[in-house]
Amino acid sequence: MAKELIVFIDMEIPEMLTRVEALKLEGYRLMQIHCTRVESGYEINYTFALDLPSQNLRIHIDREQEIPSISGIFPAAFLYENEIHDLFGLNITDMLIDYHGRFYRTSVPAPFGQAKKDTGGGE
Amino acid sequence: MKTVLTIVLFIVAAPLAGGLMAGLDRKAGAWMQSRVGPPLLQPFYDVAKLFSKQNIAVHKSQKYYVLCFLVFVILSGALFVAGQDLLLVIFALTLADVFLILGAYSVRSPYSYVGAERELVQMMAYEPMVIITAIGMYMVTKSFSVADIAAFEQNLFVKLPGIFIGLLFVLTGKLRKSPFDLSMSHHAHQEIVGGVLTEFSGAELAMVKIAYWYQNVFLLGLVCLFFASAFWLGVGAVMLTFFLEVFIDNNSARLTWQFTLASSWIAAAVLGMGNLVVLIFI
Amino acid sequence: MGERTVIPFGPQHPVLLEPLHLDLVIEDEKVVKAMPSWGFVHRGLEKLAEKRDFIEFPFVAERICGVCSHSHGMAYTQAIEALMSLEIPVRAKYLRTILAEFSRINSHLLWLGLLANALGFESLFMHCWKLREKILDIVEETTGGRVIFGACRVGGVNRDIDAPTLARMSRLFTGMEKGFREIDGVFRKDYTVQKRLQETGALSRADAHLLGAVGPVAKGSGIPCDMRRLGYSVYNELDFQAVVETEGDSYARTSVRIKEIFQSVGLIQQAIAKIPAGEVSMKITGLPPVGEHFEMVEQPRGEAVYYVKGNGTRFLERFRVRNSTFANIPALLKILEGCELSDVPMLILSIDPCISCAER
Repeated sequence: MAKELIVFIDMEIPEMLTRVEALKLEGYRLMQIHCTRVESGYEINYTFALDLPSQNLRIHIDREQEIPSISGIFPAAFLYENEIHDLFGLNITDMLIDYHGRFYRTSVPAPFGQAKKDTGGGE
Repeated sequence: MKTVLTIVLFIVAAPLAGGLMAGLDRKAGAWMQSRVGPPLLQPFYDVAKLFSKQNIAVHKSQKYYVLCFLVFVILSGALFVAGQDLLLVIFALTLADVFLILGAYSVRSPYSYVGAERELVQMMAYEPMVIITAIGMYMVTKSFSVADIAAFEQNLFVKLPGIFIGLLFVLTGKLRKSPFDLSMSHHAHQEIVGGVLTEFSGAELAMVKIAYWYQNVFLLGLVCLFFASAFWLGVGAVMLTFFLEVFIDNNSARLTWQFTLASSWIAAAVLGMGNLVVLIFI
Repeated sequence: MGERTVIPFGPQHPVLLEPLHLDLVIEDEKVVKAMPSWGFVHRGLEKLAEKRDFIEFPFVAERICGVCSHSHGMAYTQAIEALMSLEIPVRAKYLRTILAEFSRINSHLLWLGLLANALGFESLFMHCWKLREKILDIVEETTGGRVIFGACRVGGVNRDIDAPTLARMSRLFTGMEKGFREIDGVFRKDYTVQKRLQETGALSRADAHLLGAVGPVAKGSGIPCDMRRLGYSVYNELDFQAVVETEGDSYARTSVRIKEIFQSVGLIQQAIAKIPAGEVSMKITGLPPVGEHFEMVEQPRGEAVYYVKGNGTRFLERFRVRNSTFANIPALLKILEGCELSDVPMLILSIDPCISCAER
């Protein structure tokens, strides 16, 4: 039932930044940010909620692309962004607190960022 | 000769009594928390085990400070049972505490540091009340000598009820009971871990524990002094005091050092000084 | 005194049972700044979803964390069912809801005990956990697990609970209500507890909103952020209001949790009165999940966001959990700034941290 509560909006980075600022002024709160590995690169989802969940902004990026941090707008974003940096190896700039890869101390660098071998999965 | 015997008896019997009290404390605490609790003799087992542990000192001087702490606690207790000057006894105990604080400062641990700072605050909190107790006893008996005070024919409590209650108040901190267990609590479930004792281990920790047994016996002896004319009343008062402290420990939250300092001084000013002023006028 | 010292706090600390590390910069005994670091229990469970069959995965989802285990299982199965458009039997929904509320009472009692312990109030600590034991006993009797219930499966629940047992679960609270009132009285009226909780760690409504606080932290600051209002499972058929306090201090957060215990008791009794007869699970037919879905549930500790993305195979493309602790860490850093060192354990506890949920 929560399906219709979230609207997915695809956009580019500059547009996303202005939109995030607008959402802050409208009184939205940051719900979560997460990254997904897709065939053409990565997609980052920014979910915002106004009382109840409502908007999900999505950007598509390549591995080398720099992503500006939104922690200047929503301070809480620094945790999510550090997580994405450490698990996917993406380059996020100007984070409020930058752990420089020491947020999760994983034995493999960027464990979630590697391309999937095949859809079969398994051990 | 009799004095020497008393001192020897104190040195031998006090840790036994103190250890038993610690065991009783844990049993009574467990009962209040509806647990079974450890065996009555558990504190002795603990200390015996601590002595058998490998000695790891963070800093060599630590050992001497702890030893001095133990020696001066025993000294103050011995002076007390020998019937010496009460003020001397109190200062010897303060000196012992200073050694413990130095021991805590001698190791480079932030927990130990904060613990030592709090221990100093705690000393500041209870010291005025203890001095007032000595003065009050002097004003009634016209003597600072413990022997004379103990031999006084009247019950001191009758003339010094305010001071007695004030002493009970600060005793909570001295016996390391919450709400005033700032610098170290029994279980180390505290923001500064074990406080002053964080970096003590093995034999040194065992010595600290034994010193506390001596100290607790001495402190309860001080309570007993209020009822010295009637021995059994004194024993009753000591037991009641002890269980009251255990009860308070289990049924209150730990407070901050600001509150401890303020409330102890208010207790000293109102109960202690008030009692002294009344004594002057009657 | 007067100079700045850095006190390491955690990941191993007697009063903090969670593997979270904080560097506290203190001046005298005032905390100037708190810097978190973590990554001690990161297990990569999100990645594991890509290697495990989606039907088997509830077992892993329930093991993300101990205390909130049931709500993880519930959220995961709900997310998959939404992706596959499965309409599960109503009785199964009711059973999940009843167990979810039991786990909420369990979690809150556990937390209250830990708070009492951090305050050095030993008998209260044991009293809370004694009450919690009764909840755990009945859960063990009905699901077979005390910590990890293992109740949810894709398409329903694993085990039915018969009518006499349900009645007994409802009656359990007539005896326990007195115990709840007792601890309520101590937490909210005892002088020493009040002295420590009131006006410490105040978080304003605006800050809570900006920092994205959820669950009891947000509710304590006056934001009615309760995902149960979305009406997932059968919450739309039960009557309840989000518990809200306005002061924003530790006392308000404690009050919220205590009131939620009473609220959960009410919800369980309502649900048991309304539960229909019927099947408790259904056969899964059709294709493996395709598409993407966000699922929000209210865990005892606050809102949890689940994101699942299926690609038509038996292995999910992406599985993502954002639990309440992750969202509450910025709020924690905010309330730690300028607090007393002696309040630190209590303030960390007041967001009810669960690091193994947060790091997954």
